[in-house]
Amino acid sequence: MDLYEFINFHLIPGLLLGSIYALGAIGVTLVFGILRFAHLAHGDMLTLGAFLALGVAGLTGLDPWFALPVAMALTAGAALLIDATCYDYLRERPRILTVMASLGVALMVRAVVQMGWGTDPTTYATGIVRPTEYLGWFLLRDRELMTFAAVIVLVAVLEAFLRLTRWGRAMRAMSDNPDLARLCGVDNRQVIRLTWVIVGMLCAAAGFLLGINTEVWAMMGWWALLPIFAAAILGGVGRIDGAVLGGLVIGLAEELSVLVVPAQYKSATAFVILLLVLLFRPRGILKGKVL
Amino acid sequence: MDALGLLNYALFILILAGIYGLMALGLNVQWGLTGLFNAGIAGFFAIGAYASAILTGPAVAGRVGGFALPVPAGWLAAMALAALLAWPIGRVCLRLRSDYLAIATIGVAEIIRLTIRSEDWLTGGVRGIAGVPRPFGDLPYLTAQLAYLALVLAVVVVAYRMMERQLHSPWGRMMRAIRDNEAAAAAMGKHVERRRLEAFVLGSALMGLAGALFAHLNRSITPDAIDPMIVTFLVWIMLILGGSGNNRGALLGALVIWLIWSLSELATDRLPTEVAIQAKYARMFLIGLALQLVLRFRPDGLLPEARRTRPRTQDHP
Amino acid sequence: MSAPLLTMTDVRGGYGEADILDGVSLHVDAGEIVVIVGPNGAGKSSAMKAVFGLLRVRGGRIVFDGEDITGWSPERIVRRGICFVPQVDNVFRDMSVHENLEMGAFLRRGDLSAAFDRVYALFPDLKARARTLAGNLSGGQRQMVAMGRALMLEPRLLLLDEPTAGLSPKYMEQIFRITRDVRDAGVAILLVEQHAKQALAFCDRGYVLATGANRCESTGAGLLADPEVVHLFLGG
Repeated sequence: MDLYEFINFHLIPGLLLGSIYALGAIGVTLVFGILRFAHLAHGDMLTLGAFLALGVAGLTGLDPWFALPVAMALTAGAALLIDATCYDYLRERPRILTVMASLGVALMVRAVVQMGWGTDPTTYATGIVRPTEYLGWFLLRDRELMTFAAVIVLVAVLEAFLRLTRWGRAMRAMSDNPDLARLCGVDNRQVIRLTWVIVGMLCAAAGFLLGINTEVWAMMGWWALLPIFAAAILGGVGRIDGAVLGGLVIGLAEELSVLVVPAQYKSATAFVILLLVLLFRPRGILKGKVL
Repeated sequence: MDALGLLNYALFILILAGIYGLMALGLNVQWGLTGLFNAGIAGFFAIGAYASAILTGPAVAGRVGGFALPVPAGWLAAMALAALLAWPIGRVCLRLRSDYLAIATIGVAEIIRLTIRSEDWLTGGVRGIAGVPRPFGDLPYLTAQLAYLALVLAVVVVAYRMMERQLHSPWGRMMRAIRDNEAAAAAMGKHVERRRLEAFVLGSALMGLAGALFAHLNRSITPDAIDPMIVTFLVWIMLILGGSGNNRGALLGALVIWLIWSLSELATDRLPTEVAIQAKYARMFLIGLALQLVLRFRPDGLLPEARRTRPRTQDHP
Repeated sequence: MSAPLLTMTDVRGGYGEADILDGVSLHVDAGEIVVIVGPNGAGKSSAMKAVFGLLRVRGGRIVFDGEDITGWSPERIVRRGICFVPQVDNVFRDMSVHENLEMGAFLRRGDLSAAFDRVYALFPDLKARARTLAGNLSGGQRQMVAMGRALMLEPRLLLLDEPTAGLSPKYMEQIFRITRDVRDAGVAILLVEQHAKQALAFCDRGYVLATGANRCESTGAGLLADPEVVHLFLGG
């Protein structure tokens, strides 16, 4: 295999998948950091976002990319609703119960999606899209370029929000030291709501990008759950930069694994990495929290 | 369905209730006794099912088999193999905090499923294993069902007795001490990690046995014979609803939930196809909802544990 | 004579079932430094936490600036002009010094430059390290960040829980000096101290607590001069 093949059939797909995982991992790490539990419904929230985009595009005839912001808003709303009904009352009890509740939420969200759209895979647009060659080396489709662009923009906007705004700082403070944040007058409930809005939006974006690059089906998010968690933990829980790094590593590892293991075990790559991280460096590459 | 068919179906449902009861007992050792969140129940179930099927089933070209061991040997092997697999997994994952353990067990179950689907030479791949011998299978249909039901019930009773003895033994008391106050237990030198591993392995063995009973009931096992998520979820809600930490609660929860699940399936199967499919997802939604409601309104379950409310885990708020 | 800024009257309470405080009374006037000392387990920190709403008060009253704040939540109290510096976990370790101070001023809108100037003037060491992550600072510097954070809201009363715990004598001296500067800038200070002798030497008044109740009170000098106090509660 030559370099051209390597770049275009392994490296770029790995980075593409990795950047989608990165978006998912950012959401998971935010929930870990601020709400302090493993959000097992994260994958199915991705699925919900992807299908909401599909639904909006179908209803309004909009280009799916324009349906995305609407889907992001709707998923944010769903996240708030789910928190208010399923997680809020468990706040004072052992965290493991919230994790359990989130597994139930995963099942419920998936069931809703299946009731609404069935289980057959579908796509945002039909037809084969040919990639264009850039600079003589890179084969990229438009949607792949836009995916990279979307991820970069979203991460940049989020970072700016977290570093430059009052509420972004409040979120970081709450992730860092929730008791001290309270002493500074930060309303924990408002930060929690804000977190769910952001997580919902990120899930919708990740689900949409995953769907537009592969296909949209009811189990898509559940399948992505393990790699996303592996990415968040690998990078370092509670760190956005860790989530991005972890996502890229996992994406690349999955795509490159086919060079060494049979293709069916591609999805096992993330799990093996996760186990290794938990065994040898549980705080991850960038030294995240120990929760 | 005529009366005979209905009776057979009813017996079938009861047999499955027994199998689920066994899984709930196994989960109770893990969660109820030590607060371990095992979200990969389906994986150990599958291991047990396949182990027994491979060892007792007929020879087939291209696949390991033809040992034709007697059925009890197969069941023992199922338990042993599930336990054997649980041991390294436990050693690696048990010292993690409970959320991480949940993710790790989800991963384990996925890997097991992947392996089962891919390794044709061992498991028959997507086609699975057929011709698994069924105890009393040569009897007329109704008698065979009754006999198998009696067998399953016997197994459940034995398991229940053994688990109750474990619960009330010094080992059991130690487990609950660890569950309720790990720091204190560790200070007492109770080898916390070792105990947790024992509980994990024991519980997994029971889940493996349940899998074997399932395979022999259906005379076959395939990767899609069960929906792993649904099975895992059902067992969890059986335990939470029944009253975790409590063997009787586990069995009661298994019976109640399984009856509700099966009867609702029976009711919705009679509907026209499109509605029936929707109904299937509606039932999944309701199961998820049921968990939220139980967690919220009746976290102690139907049969709460005698002295404590519900098992707390190693991370306190 | 004007009414005290803060008055605690016969306060009882605890964290769980048992009461730690068994009738504590004290007051703090504007512009003074008041110290609470006593043996371990005396309830010194608990008395302070009761003021800030971090303890369940089951009896007695707490009045601040004429308002009964008994049973108020910390979020409400901080808006009234009392700021609290905990003994441990008192900085945001993954945020820079400057960001820690910004968080201190979270409840304020508008231009914060005057507040920053004031705090950096009190802690010039911090100004030099404004971009350093708080977790990377030394213990003494972190304590300064913790105090600076609390001062960003320009409170009228500052509560300090063992500010010199675990610090070297050099930093201890600095903290005491800065505390006096803060008092001179018009902030009343209530602090709990384990280093009782040094604290009594620089404060205006002091209370000695034991087993959750008052034992004696006087000026700092007065308590230091009392041989019984010195022997019983200050470790000779």
